[in-house]
Amino acid sequence: MHPTAYAVGLTMARKHKSVLPGFGLSLGFTLFYLSLAVLLPMAALALKAASVSLDDIGRTLGSERVQAALWLSLRTAFIAGVINVVFGLLVAWVLERYNFPGRRLLDAFVDLPFALPTAVAGIALTALYSPNGWLGSIAGIAGIKVVYTELGIIVALTFIGLPFVVRTVQPVLQDLDAEIEEAAASLGATPYQTFRYIILPHVTPALITGFTLAFARALGEYGSVVFISGNLPGKTEIAPLAIMTKLEQYDYNGAVVIAALLLVVSLIILFIINGLQAWGRKRKLA
Amino acid sequence: MAIEIKNLTKRFGDFTALSGLNLNIADGELVALLGPSGSGKTTLLRIIGGLEQAEEGEVIVDGANAGTVDIRDRRVGFVFQHYALFRHMTVFDNIAFGLRVRPRNERPGKDEISKRVHDLLKLVQLERLAPRYPGQLSGGQRQRVALARALAIEPKVLLLDEPFGALDAQVRRDLRRWLRRLHDEIKLTSVFVTHDQEEALEVADRVVVMNHGKIEQVGTPVDVYHRPATPFVYAFLGDTNVFHGRLEDGSPVLVGGEPPSEKQETARMYVRPHLMDIEHDRASVESVPAKVMHINAAGPTVKVELETPLGEAIMVELTQDRFLELKLERGTEVFATPRQQQLFKKDDYVI
Repeated sequence: MHPTAYAVGLTMARKHKSVLPGFGLSLGFTLFYLSLAVLLPMAALALKAASVSLDDIGRTLGSERVQAALWLSLRTAFIAGVINVVFGLLVAWVLERYNFPGRRLLDAFVDLPFALPTAVAGIALTALYSPNGWLGSIAGIAGIKVVYTELGIIVALTFIGLPFVVRTVQPVLQDLDAEIEEAAASLGATPYQTFRYIILPHVTPALITGFTLAFARALGEYGSVVFISGNLPGKTEIAPLAIMTKLEQYDYNGAVVIAALLLVVSLIILFIINGLQAWGRKRKLA
Repeated sequence: MAIEIKNLTKRFGDFTALSGLNLNIADGELVALLGPSGSGKTTLLRIIGGLEQAEEGEVIVDGANAGTVDIRDRRVGFVFQHYALFRHMTVFDNIAFGLRVRPRNERPGKDEISKRVHDLLKLVQLERLAPRYPGQLSGGQRQRVALARALAIEPKVLLLDEPFGALDAQVRRDLRRWLRRLHDEIKLTSVFVTHDQEEALEVADRVVVMNHGKIEQVGTPVDVYHRPATPFVYAFLGDTNVFHGRLEDGSPVLVGGEPPSEKQETARMYVRPHLMDIEHDRASVESVPAKVMHINAAGPTVKVELETPLGEAIMVELTQDRFLELKLERGTEVFATPRQQQLFKKDDYVI
């Protein structure tokens, strides 16, 4: 072959290649891995749910006990999420804005609910809040019962949801220059106005993302809740536990129906998160 | 409004950022604080603006001690180096912010705010960009929005911290001329910080040259450039060649290329590159023998870098005509002669 022709051929072949090698291989592996680990179990669930008769669906969703469990899960997950938004923002603010001895240690503590096995968290919380536990006895004096009530579930879900809010808000706060607050002050804004009109709108997308993540996690949380909730059917029985109960009663179709419903809720939440992130990005400074 | 700074001292731990500064700024003046980084110029600006508190001394704005006034009530327009725009707000909302956060009884009505914002947008020539977000603007546009936002509160003084520092060269030149014209139009007492001597000399009515937390010189651009008070000012305002010489009966004698001996009273002579000439033969006793090391002929003048036998570099700027006349090449042995010089005696040695 003529040397020039060879050189041209070489450039042509190179033209479409990225500098990073192995795109084809890594993409192939990524797709395979995601399919195996994530999509396949979901598809199996969807297939199984599709084969369930309308009767079974109606029977399961019509049952008061199942409805109560689903409603309880949604409600407690939502309340725990809201609590975490308020206090998660406070924790993130303190960790980002102030320097004090032990700050890094405190920062590490935030991840504890991530790292702790949920069953351990559940036992610890139950012991703490039981009528003769440290906090439970104090609450008892005030006439508040925590363990085996809805309040107990909310406590457990708040515990496991906190890191989601803190960790999503922290980088956004870090991103907010002190100059921005100085600018607001020099323009005559009070500290409250600076918080309300400058800081809060800035962190709102992150807060919503954090809330949604905490909510989604709380919706499916099982380990830390079962001990503290007491699992009274119709009262403190959460949706994941309802699935367990159905399985134990060999009512596989019923379990699948509840599971599929939770899957749908999770997917909706996922879309909301993605939408919010896109919305947040669009408003970011280039 | 006039600004009076009296005996201002500021420390950060062991570091003294400002020591005993005195400065008067007249009503309607545009003053540049010029100095290298760490000279305290930004700290001074932030203290005037109330973003920082001084340990000693006072800042008097319009006859009243500003130190006792909360930053929110100071009516100081502050423009930050990195704009500090509120990125979740449109350009319009950014500019309107200062008016909207006023207490209810002082707050202008909605139509009034809208009118004021549009007037300001016209002033900074960004009328069409009102509905955009800061992220959709160029650097120069963002800086003008920041300026309009600061002007919206009808400030008594306008403070700008390296207002053009983050912009590229061309935009920077355009914007500083524009700022000068704007100042002539609105006549607001303004102080801006810069480390760019060209910017300070071109824009300001008066230049305050600072170094190590002290003021080296205050004067008009012509003053500080042509009559520098200290070697630091001379060196900071342009490229400089330093020659060692000796004093004979109080007048300087430059001995070309030879280091002065210990016993002689020494002096330093500062010469700008464009005030040097190159000759092939020794023209005077002050001529320094040197070798051409580098030539840059691209530009209105030709920059020639020479090296003396002692290894000291000399920068010379020649006209294109003179350069062609001399037929210089790298390695040519020549003599460099100062045509005009600035003398600083030994006790002025700061550099």
